[in-house]
Amino acid sequence: MNPILEVKNLSVVYESSGFNALQAVDHVSFALEAGEFVGLVGESGSGKSTLGLAITRLQKSPARTNGGEIFFRGKDIRELDAETLRQQRQGGFAMVLQSGMNALNPVRTIRNHFIDIFRAHGHVGKSGWDARQIDLMEKVGLPKETLARFPGELSGGMRQRVSIALALSLEPQLMVFDEPTTALDVLVQQAIMDTIKSLQKSEGFTAVLVSHDLGVVLESTQRVLVMHEGRIVEDAPSRDILENPQDEYTRMLLSHYADPRAEVVELPGFPDRARRDTGAAARTSGATARDGRSSDSAIVVDHVSKVYPPPRRGEQAVTAVDDVSFTLEPGQSLALVGASGSGKSTIAKLITGIEKPTAGTVTFGQLDVAQLGRRQIRELHKNVQMIFQDPYSALNPLHTVEYTLTRPVVNFGGLRGPAARKRVLELLETVGLAPVEQFAAKLPHQLSGGQRQRVVIARALASNPQVLIADEPVSMLDVSLRAGVLALLEDLREQWGVSMLYITHDLLSARLVTDNIMVLNGGRVVERGNTAQVLQHPEDEYTIRLLDAVPNPARARGAAV
Amino acid sequence: MVYVLRRIGFFLLTLWAAVTLNFLLPRMMPGSPTDAAIAKLAQNGPVTDATRKAIEAQLGVPDGNILEQYFGYLHQVLTLDFGVSYTFYPQSVSEMIWQAFPYTIVLVGFVTIIAFILGTLIGVLTAWKRNTWLDALPTLSGSFASTFPYFWTALLLLFFAGYVLHLFPTSGAFGPTATPAFTWDFFMDVLYHAALPALTILITSLGGWIIGMRNAMINTLGDDYVTFAEANGLKGRTVAIRYAARNAILPNLTGFGLALGGVVGGSVLVEQVFGYPGIGYLLFNAVIGQDYPLMQALFLMITVSVLIANFLVDIMYGVLDPRTRR
Repeated sequence: MNPILEVKNLSVVYESSGFNALQAVDHVSFALEAGEFVGLVGESGSGKSTLGLAITRLQKSPARTNGGEIFFRGKDIRELDAETLRQQRQGGFAMVLQSGMNALNPVRTIRNHFIDIFRAHGHVGKSGWDARQIDLMEKVGLPKETLARFPGELSGGMRQRVSIALALSLEPQLMVFDEPTTALDVLVQQAIMDTIKSLQKSEGFTAVLVSHDLGVVLESTQRVLVMHEGRIVEDAPSRDILENPQDEYTRMLLSHYADPRAEVVELPGFPDRARRDTGAAARTSGATARDGRSSDSAIVVDHVSKVYPPPRRGEQAVTAVDDVSFTLEPGQSLALVGASGSGKSTIAKLITGIEKPTAGTVTFGQLDVAQLGRRQIRELHKNVQMIFQDPYSALNPLHTVEYTLTRPVVNFGGLRGPAARKRVLELLETVGLAPVEQFAAKLPHQLSGGQRQRVVIARALASNPQVLIADEPVSMLDVSLRAGVLALLEDLREQWGVSMLYITHDLLSARLVTDNIMVLNGGRVVERGNTAQVLQHPEDEYTIRLLDAVPNPARARGAAV
Repeated sequence: MVYVLRRIGFFLLTLWAAVTLNFLLPRMMPGSPTDAAIAKLAQNGPVTDATRKAIEAQLGVPDGNILEQYFGYLHQVLTLDFGVSYTFYPQSVSEMIWQAFPYTIVLVGFVTIIAFILGTLIGVLTAWKRNTWLDALPTLSGSFASTFPYFWTALLLLFFAGYVLHLFPTSGAFGPTATPAFTWDFFMDVLYHAALPALTILITSLGGWIIGMRNAMINTLGDDYVTFAEANGLKGRTVAIRYAARNAILPNLTGFGLALGGVVGGSVLVEQVFGYPGIGYLLFNAVIGQDYPLMQALFLMITVSVLIANFLVDIMYGVLDPRTRR
C-alpha cells in the first residue's frame, strides 16, 4: 500500500533580515500509512510545529521550505497553486491549531463558521447544512444549541471541540493536531484526547498528534516520531519507544515521567523525598538558622470563604473558596491542587492581600491580612512573595535582569549602590545563573524559559521572604527544565527555611516538592494529608479523577501489554 | 436590547452633565460680558452707573438665585432659545446656527464618512497585498499627504486649482447669483463650491485611515482564526473580508467616533481659508467679535455633537462586536 503522506529530506528555514537564518527543520524524512495515528514529540524549539505547518502547507513568511519534497497521495503539495491547494483542503489534509481558544473568529457564530466552510467547498448541499452541523457537533460531544453561540461565550474546551468539528467537516484523510490540549485544564485535556482517539477510530482518518508531552502521545498513538533540534532522532512504534528507546534524547524525555501514585517517585537529580535526608528537624534548623526569624510567623487560613458577585444580573453568585482552613508552618511545603476553577489561585490572592475574604481570617504571624494598612501591606509583601506561572510575561521585556532584581533589593532591602549590586549577584548565584555578571546584563528575550523562571524566583527571593507562593511555576516549561527548577525550589526551602505554598494541577511535581497536600474542588477541600500518602491511597473520587488524568507512559505500557 | 437601553441612559446622563457644565463654567469664571464692555468704554472716559445699567439691560444679565437661573437655562436649551447674537444683531443665535449647520454637516460630515470608508477599503487592500506595489503606493502617498497641515493643503489647492487654473471657485458655499432653494441647480452649485474644501479634508485625513486599517489588519492576519480559516480552505476573499478585515475594523471605530465628533468643531481652519459659511467660520467670527451668546451656543453644540457621535459608535460596536453586547 502506498503511504498517504511521504516526506523526503524536508528542510524549513526561518529567514528574516538582520537575524541569522534558523534551520528549524533539517532534512526530515518519514512516511505515514493510511489510518495510522502518529505522535510527533519534541520540546520547544525542536521544529515540530514548523513541520506540522509545512506538511499542511500553512507555513508563512519568514518560514520557507529550502529543500525536500512532501508527497500527499503521491503528489508533491509544494507545487500546488493556491486555488488547487484551497480546493484540496476538502477531503485532503486538515489542521487543528494549538490554542484552539483563538482559532475561531470572535465575531461569527459557530453556525457561520460551518457555513463558511460549506460555501467554500460546496461539498454539502444547502438542504443538508443543518443536519450536517448537528451531526458534527454530536460527534465532538457538544449540544446543537452551541451552533448559535459566539466563540467568546464558550469555554476553552468547548472551543477546541468546535475546532475539531470544523476540521472534521472537511472530511479530511489526514488530520494534524498541533498541541490540541495545551493550555487546557487537566480533566478537560483528558476528555478532549479521548474524543480525538475515538474519532480517529470511527472516522478512519490518518492523524498526526504534535505535542511536547510524551506522556499524552504515548497514551494515544501507535507510533512516535521524536524531534530534537530540527531532526527526527527516533521513529518507532510507541511500545518500542517506551520499552526500548534507542536515542539518548528520547531516554532523557522518558526519564522525566513518573507515576505520582508510585511508592517511590524519582526524577533525574531528584531522589524520592522519603529517601532524602530532609527530615523535619533539618528543615526547622534551616528556618531558625536565619537571623531574626520568629517561629510564629506561620500563615493561618481560618474558615475562609470568598464569594464573588454574580457575573451577570440574574445569575448566581460565585463561591470561589468555601470554608477553607489550613496552616502553613515555617519551613513547610504545602501543595494546593485542583482543576482550574477549584479556587486555588483565589487562595493565593487572599494570602497576598490582593483580595479580601468574604468570611474568615487570614493571618501571617500577628498580621491580619484583610485589615492591613499601607505600611503593613509592605511588610507582608516583603515576607510573602509570588512566583508566577508564565515566565514569558512575568518579566518586563525592556529591563535587564539586573534592573529587575535591583528594584526589590532597593525597595525592600534598603540597599544602595555597590551593596545592592552585590546582593543582585548573590541572588543570581543562588538560583544557579552563572556566570552571574553575564546574566545580570541580559534582557529577558535573551534567556530560555527555564532561565527566565530562575530570574522570577530570584526576584521573589530578593526581599528575603519567609513564604513563597508558587503558582504553577513549571507548567510552562519543557519537561527537561522542570526538574531543575523544582530542585531549586526544594533547595531554597531546605537551606533557607522558606516555606512554600505550591499551587498546581500537576500531581507529579506536587509529589516531588511538598510534604502535605490539599485537594480542592469547587472551592472546598475534598482531601488533605501527607502528599505521598494521599497520592498513593487517594480516597476522594475527585482526587482519583485528577490522578487518572495525569499522562503516564508507564500506564500506556500497562494497557498495551 | 438591554445594551442599547443602557447606552441611551448613559448618553442622556452625559448630555445632562455637559449641559450643566456649560451653565456652571461661565458663572465660575471671573469677569462678565458687562465688565468687558465697560472696561472698553472706560478707556475713553469715566463710566456712569446709568451706562452700566444700560449695558446690563442690553445684554440681559440674569436675575433670581442660581437654581432659578439654572431651570430657566434648561428651559431655554430645550426650546433652543440661545438669545440674540451681538455681531449679527438682530438675528437670533439659533437662526445663525441653523443657517451654518447644514453646510458643515454636508461638507465635513459627509467627507469624513467618505474618507473613513475609502481609507478603510484601501487599508484592507494594502494589508492583503502587503509588500507589493499595491501596498507601497497607497501607503506611502497616503502618509505623505497626511503630513501636510490642513491649512497648507488648503492654500495650495486654493492657489493652483482656484486662482491659477480657475477650475473651482475660491470662496463661499454657492455663487453670487444663486438663491438658496431645494433645486437641482442650487445643489450642483453647492457641490461645485464644496469641491476644494472637501478635497482638502479628504487628502489630509485619508492617509491616517489607510495606515490605521492596514496595521490593524496585518495584526489580525497573524491571528489563529485567520490561519485556521486558511487551513479550512475558505476562499481568499472570505478570509480577507469576513475574518481579517471584519475584526481589524473594530479598534478603528473608536477613531472614527472621535473624528465624527470633531466634525462640527474641527473645521475652523478649512472653512476660514475657503470662506465657507459653516459652523467653523461662524465660531471664528464669534470669537473675533466677542459674541458671547453665539460662542456659548456653539460650544454646547460641539459638545453635544461629540456625545452623539460617540453614542452612535457605541451602538455600532454593539452591532459589530458580540463581545460588547453583555
